Amino acid sequence: MLWAALVLPLCLDSTPSSDALQGLGTWALQFTPRVAVVDEAVVMEVEASTRLFRGRRALRDRVVQESADLGVTAVAWAPTSLAALALARVRKENGVRRPVGELLDELPMETLSATAKHLTTLTQLGCRTLGDIRKLPRGGVSRRFDKELLGAMDQAYGLRPEAHTWLTVPDSFKLRVELMSRVELAPALLFGARRLLMSMCGWLAARHAGTTAFALRWAHDTMRSKAAGTGGELVVRTAAPMRDLEHLCRLLAENLAKVELLAPAGDLELEALDVHSLEEKTASLLPDTVRAGESLTLVLERVAARLGPERVLRPVLVEDHRLEWMQHWQPAPQPMAKKRTRTSGIPQPTFVLSEPLRLATRGNRPMYQGPLHLLTGPHRVEGGWWHRVKEGDAEGTKNVVRDYWVALSDHCGVLWIFQERLANDETAWYLQGSFA
Amino acid sequence: MPPALDWLEDFESPPPLAPKEPLAPGELPRAVEAALWRGNELGRTVTSVCNSGWAALDAELPGGGWPLGSVCEVLASQPSVLEWRLLGPALRQVVADGGQVVVIGPPRCPHLPGLLHEGLDERQLVWVQAEMPAERLWVTEQLIKSNAAGAIVAWLPQARQEQLRRLQVCAQACEGPVFLCRPEAARHEASAAPLRVHASVGLDWELRVNVFKRRGPVHDGMLVLPSVPGGLSSVLTPRLRKPSRLISREVTADVVGSTGVTALPRQHALQ
Repeated sequence: MLWAALVLPLCLDSTPSSDALQGLGTWALQFTPRVAVVDEAVVMEVEASTRLFRGRRALRDRVVQESADLGVTAVAWAPTSLAALALARVRKENGVRRPVGELLDELPMETLSATAKHLTTLTQLGCRTLGDIRKLPRGGVSRRFDKELLGAMDQAYGLRPEAHTWLTVPDSFKLRVELMSRVELAPALLFGARRLLMSMCGWLAARHAGTTAFALRWAHDTMRSKAAGTGGELVVRTAAPMRDLEHLCRLLAENLAKVELLAPAGDLELEALDVHSLEEKTASLLPDTVRAGESLTLVLERVAARLGPERVLRPVLVEDHRLEWMQHWQPAPQPMAKKRTRTSGIPQPTFVLSEPLRLATRGNRPMYQGPLHLLTGPHRVEGGWWHRVKEGDAEGTKNVVRDYWVALSDHCGVLWIFQERLANDETAWYLQGSFA
Repeated sequence: MPPALDWLEDFESPPPLAPKEPLAPGELPRAVEAALWRGNELGRTVTSVCNSGWAALDAELPGGGWPLGSVCEVLASQPSVLEWRLLGPALRQVVADGGQVVVIGPPRCPHLPGLLHEGLDERQLVWVQAEMPAERLWVTEQLIKSNAAGAIVAWLPQARQEQLRRLQVCAQACEGPVFLCRPEAARHEASAAPLRVHASVGLDWELRVNVFKRRGPVHDGMLVLPSVPGGLSSVLTPRLRKPSRLISREVTADVVGSTGVTALPRQHALQ
């Protein structure tokens, strides 16, 4: 048996807040299902999980490093949970190097919670350490004090089995945290939100799931102005189910950078909105080809979080012969159509202007940075009377009547220009694209 | 900037020493030979490359192609004139290998039906609309760092020397080609990019390329590479293969009148 005890700092009323304990417990559930809350600490039994987390050393490093972010002040490891807790209270970490009896004998007796009731009597008896209590005759102790003291002593020394009420994985995740100080700038909320995200990642890992949407809510404190309202909410969505803490943090940071807090915030709340089961990475013996760095989806998601989703685009082809409607662009995470569109083999420019540019003419010859030489054409495109659009009050159709030409310019390469055929011989030349 | 200075930047560890053999006078041990670069030969330190599509250009590029794991500057007199024509053959390979092509801040809207002729695919193209210079640099750096894109083409009309150096340092861990399209005026500024190319279009379906910075001797002169942009090769008649000849004749004739689209009096053109 290998027990770990994670001690949280005490609040004013000498117990840590239940939210913090619950968050820590939820986070700890990713390592083992045997997690319990004892007094001001969370204890967990990790013997069976050491191999999954690559050995005791790696597991210990990970737990110590990550739990520090959650506000844990001391971690201790011992063969029994009460011994681990007692060691953690005196800031001794390693309780497995020597036999647990030797270690516990040296500890002050306050480290065991069961002695608290009888502290005065025990002190008057001359006891200072747990070893002193153990030296007292068992029969006398059980008669003079209650059976809880003897039971707790036996459990701590591993002579009697321990019974715990295990924490269970909740079905939904919603956690609240009170910030240490009032936060006035939205990006500074990230510090508190990171703790919540860690708990959420632990909860997701325990459920073998990933999230695609989560909401961060903040509540303004009571000193707010009336116009500020009670709080705000920020919903972050991801393209694929995800429980990578760093990526979620970065996404949240990009989103928070755009938020303006109307009043200082005092409370934070995180809720997982959409949770989907997540396919685990294979733990195969032969490693796959390792790609350093993150996947393209994640990068684009982060870019979209900063620039806005409408600026990271993928093309969609449309079967239309008018150039403006041959393709449109959609935000990158949206799914692509399964069926491929048919394409004609006719030449098309590789860059197009957003609006056709009317060209000047000299002697019926279109000009664009010097005279243009028309090479091949006309490629006649006509139609679009079926394409009805409403612009304000007027209803019109996007009908086009055009002759396309490939034009050659001395300075700007090969261009794709067209001659609009208007009524009354009023023709006009437009530049629409370039074969870049 | 002398190329030798840049060459020292990503100096690679020499291969392990071979067993000792007696050396002929004037001959160097193999390890020394491999680590030695003579000023009159092309650099060989570029480990992996991606073919440019033209044998003539490959012969002038160190390693025989566009370098992977470093940035490559493409300078042109104005944007959106020749980028896809020059980079298309390399991007075609990237797409064929299943890589994604990310374009950052192109000067005009990329037109996919035309890009299909260059070998690109609708599923493997991402357009990031970055407008501000800082945005362009940030997006480019994020994509280079992630090493997730098959190829990156970024338009950087304004970029300072130290910003390019930063990109180059990041790109050393990137496995795909990174092209930075910059204006012609940047030619006279120093840059950390190990390969810098100036390109312009010629009249007779050709690209004129000058590799003015590379790891190796200075390349003077102009490479003339035949290049017909996407899909046009199917509609070009033999007469149109040499537009420069047509144009010299065309000066006297009205271009529209000569093709008979609009019936205009001939003297109108002769004015």
